[in-house]
Amino acid sequence: MSDDRQRPAQPAGATYVGLLAQVMSHTLDEDYETVAEQRRRAGKARGTVGRLALPAVVAVFGLMIGVSALKTEQDRPQARLERSELVEEIHQREQRYAGLRAAENELATHVARLQSKLSDDLRDQTALSNRLELLGLQSGALGAEGPGVTVTVDDAPRSVGGGEGLILDTDLRLLVNGLWKAGAEAIAIDGHRLTALTSIRYAGRAITVDYRSLTPPYVIEAIGDPNTLPARLLETPGGQAWLSLERNFGIRFDTEPNASLTLPADPHVRLSHAEPEGPR
Amino acid sequence: MIAVVGLLLGIVAGLFLEPSVPEPLQPYLPIAVVAALDAVFGGLRAYLDGIFDDKVFVISFVSNVFIASLIVYLGDQLGVGGQLSTGVIVVLGIRIFSNVAAIRRHVFHA
Repeated sequence: MSDDRQRPAQPAGATYVGLLAQVMSHTLDEDYETVAEQRRRAGKARGTVGRLALPAVVAVFGLMIGVSALKTEQDRPQARLERSELVEEIHQREQRYAGLRAAENELATHVARLQSKLSDDLRDQTALSNRLELLGLQSGALGAEGPGVTVTVDDAPRSVGGGEGLILDTDLRLLVNGLWKAGAEAIAIDGHRLTALTSIRYAGRAITVDYRSLTPPYVIEAIGDPNTLPARLLETPGGQAWLSLERNFGIRFDTEPNASLTLPADPHVRLSHAEPEGPR
Repeated sequence: MIAVVGLLLGIVAGLFLEPSVPEPLQPYLPIAVVAALDAVFGGLRAYLDGIFDDKVFVISFVSNVFIASLIVYLGDQLGVGGQLSTGVIVVLGIRIFSNVAAIRRHVFHA
């Protein structure tokens, strides 16, 4: 087989036919024509490669078709099975998805409820802490600051009244009760905060407040309205008593308004027996 | 005549003897069938043209099947097996259609 005889109509490089065009136009194996041409020139009859080659090849072709058909047929049930399994799985996943969506909605509702509860709790907490603060101030468990008056009292000098002008624990109690009555909201004596359980007593030769001995002069700080507190104090029995003490025994009794007082907390606020009444 | 007998024999053998194709060759069976179909229609057309030759037919059949399978195998190794299969089938399909058209002209003289 030589090339120049094989493609007489198409000299090499003369015209280029597109690939697709070539595929479309040269559909028959050119070998058939070439071989037939050769035969014609040689004047020979059609040769064969043995009698059995053609039937064998055609049989192989049939075999391939048969096997392919068989295989496709055999695979079909399996493909159908796989398909139905996939469909089943899709349904399952869809159901699972719907379930998860429902759970998600439920959880979202739950979260919203918890959030509103949280804001309620926060409000309650604010109210509680306000109340706690108020109670702490009233009971003396918290330090307090604010405007008020400073009352300074002292024993009379020995030269006046012949040593009779000593301040007694009852005098101090009168003064403190007078201050409470005049509207004081927090009171401390020499820096000791007074609570409902604070004692003012005479022990030995000194006045003790909360079991601590004090020496004169005594400084009583009271938080309240600095404008009205001194006047109202003098209207109370305690105030009256102290006016007479000052007048008769020369005991010092000075009342001064103060714009800013700071009273410490009572460090010993502790209850041993009392409990809240009723269910908490 | 003997070719038709061989074809029927092969189909019957394939359907009833159920010869098992080796697992690695199975993906190439369909493409090999298409390639063989091309060779068969080519042979049929050559026969009608009066230039049929046993030897050419056998060689074109074997080489068609082998090369088509080889191209697809190569494509599988390169990761473009699907695309190459499509390409081979398109080219072979065009040839088959053209050959069938030529055969039709022979048979119906149209």
